[in-house]
Amino acid sequence: MSKEIWVFSEKETLQGELLGAARFLAGQLGGKTAALVGGEAARQEAAFRQGADTVYFWQAAEGVQPEDCLATLVQAARQYQPAVVLIGATWSGKALAGRLAAVLGRSVITDVKKFQVQNGEIEATHLILGGGAVRVEKPLAQPLIATIGLGVFEALPPEAGRSGDVVALDFIQPQTRWALRERKPKPPASVNLAAARKVVCPGRGVQKQEDLQMMFELARLLGAEVGATRPLCEGLDWLPRERYIGVSGAFIKPDLYLGIGVSGQVQHTVGITESRVVAAINKDEEAPIFQQADYGIVGDLYQVVPALIRALQARR
Amino acid sequence: MNIIVCYKFVPDPEDMQVKPDGKISFEGAEWIISDYDLMAIETAVRLVEAHGGKVTALSAGPQPLSSSKGKKDVLSRGPDELVLVVDDAMQTADTHQTAQALAAAIRKIGEFDLVVFGEGSADLYFQQVGLQVGELLGVPVVNAVSKVSVEDGRVVVERSTEEDVQVLESSLPAALAVTTDICQPRLPSMKEILKAGKKPVTEWSLADLGLDLQAFRSTEVLAVRPPEQVERKRIKITGEADQAVQQLLNYLSKEGVL
Repeated sequence: MSKEIWVFSEKETLQGELLGAARFLAGQLGGKTAALVGGEAARQEAAFRQGADTVYFWQAAEGVQPEDCLATLVQAARQYQPAVVLIGATWSGKALAGRLAAVLGRSVITDVKKFQVQNGEIEATHLILGGGAVRVEKPLAQPLIATIGLGVFEALPPEAGRSGDVVALDFIQPQTRWALRERKPKPPASVNLAAARKVVCPGRGVQKQEDLQMMFELARLLGAEVGATRPLCEGLDWLPRERYIGVSGAFIKPDLYLGIGVSGQVQHTVGITESRVVAAINKDEEAPIFQQADYGIVGDLYQVVPALIRALQARR
Repeated sequence: MNIIVCYKFVPDPEDMQVKPDGKISFEGAEWIISDYDLMAIETAVRLVEAHGGKVTALSAGPQPLSSSKGKKDVLSRGPDELVLVVDDAMQTADTHQTAQALAAAIRKIGEFDLVVFGEGSADLYFQQVGLQVGELLGVPVVNAVSKVSVEDGRVVVERSTEEDVQVLESSLPAALAVTTDICQPRLPSMKEILKAGKKPVTEWSLADLGLDLQAFRSTEVLAVRPPEQVERKRIKITGEADQAVQQLLNYLSKEGVL
């Protein structure tokens, strides 16, 4: 059986990180790495530089979507029998992984955070329950199909001038296809929480939408962005969805996270674990957020937040 | 048009407990419709309200799925009928096994124009099943759909990707997974709740579908455990607000994060 570790991502940065993971697996299993690359020949060199031993390459016509390579990948997987197929977890990548898995009769291990190899068997660790639990799985059949998000594995240092074998694949027209009518710019994001150094995060303890004004005032004085828990963005609709921190929302890594009236449900806190300092204000002393905070004020936010605003104004 | 909307029935993730031995438990948890699927149900119901036709809700899962409360809940949200694949073997099904069960049920239901899924399940959030079902059915399938309309027998969607919004179009039948912001699910009215009890419900087992789930198993779960906790200082400040605030600011200032 082949011990080739394949990677596919339409994004070159992610492709490099996938090759970092692939090189680790190939080293442990005594196999080789290969990148699946469509389109321009220049992308072959990039894949070699990033650590691919082999590049499977197909010419793709203008306007071909990443997922349109499905039939090409299915044919290649059947012919060359890879041990593992790692796919970058963009929306297109997730779709491609699922559809490839369906055709090959495999499940997909999604958003892998870590690989280990024990006695020649791969073990993949990923999150379930919105990050509330970690699950370790192993494949029972080849290929293992897994998706990996951006920034999880480290790319290898690029090696200029590195090369390898190019295997030419015929592009096979997909059986089903969505026609692209147009591309529109995304509505401008009002906020970039992922890049924020400080984040003030109101939660369900806030009673009225108007009360958010004092959160924005506090954020202004701290030089912070305003995030939120899910109910405020989906359900109450007080804030746009971009401000929502947690599962299916933003994962943040600020120097300071300040949760206000946040209870600390795992669906939210999974998004803040990489904060350097976590502070919280909540009137319920038993609120789970205090277990995950460095500093917590037990008190009514309607007294504490105005006091905090006054104190920050006085310090200016 | 005939729309099938798939949903998952899950133990409420908020009822998860970590036992002293580090095991994860859902003992005594309430089972609910996975909340991301409420938007899928609403999307299907709105399309049928606009174009006429029928919404069939479909789910596959272990025994709690057939609870009368669960059936009523989904039917009070607008679907015209309900089909359930109830089998305890679904408890440990991986994404592909679940997709096989749903695809088999859809084939047995028969004709459809559209199959709608949510963004991911509230418990596992693997975001895989809809894509696999679409592919197993051999119809065009797409994820990240933030807007959908049906025009002249074709489905037009907006797909919010990392860079832009793609406007995509396909013939019917097709399958979609919708994002959580596609719409705001309605709260069931008293009238809908009363009507729900009278709507047709069909229950099948995996055997009724001629399906041996074991034949489709391709992954094995080795361990489930709580994630490693980040060590936090857990300093609690109590007392009068102005003083508490000064204490907090002193701590934060020492940390260099003010």
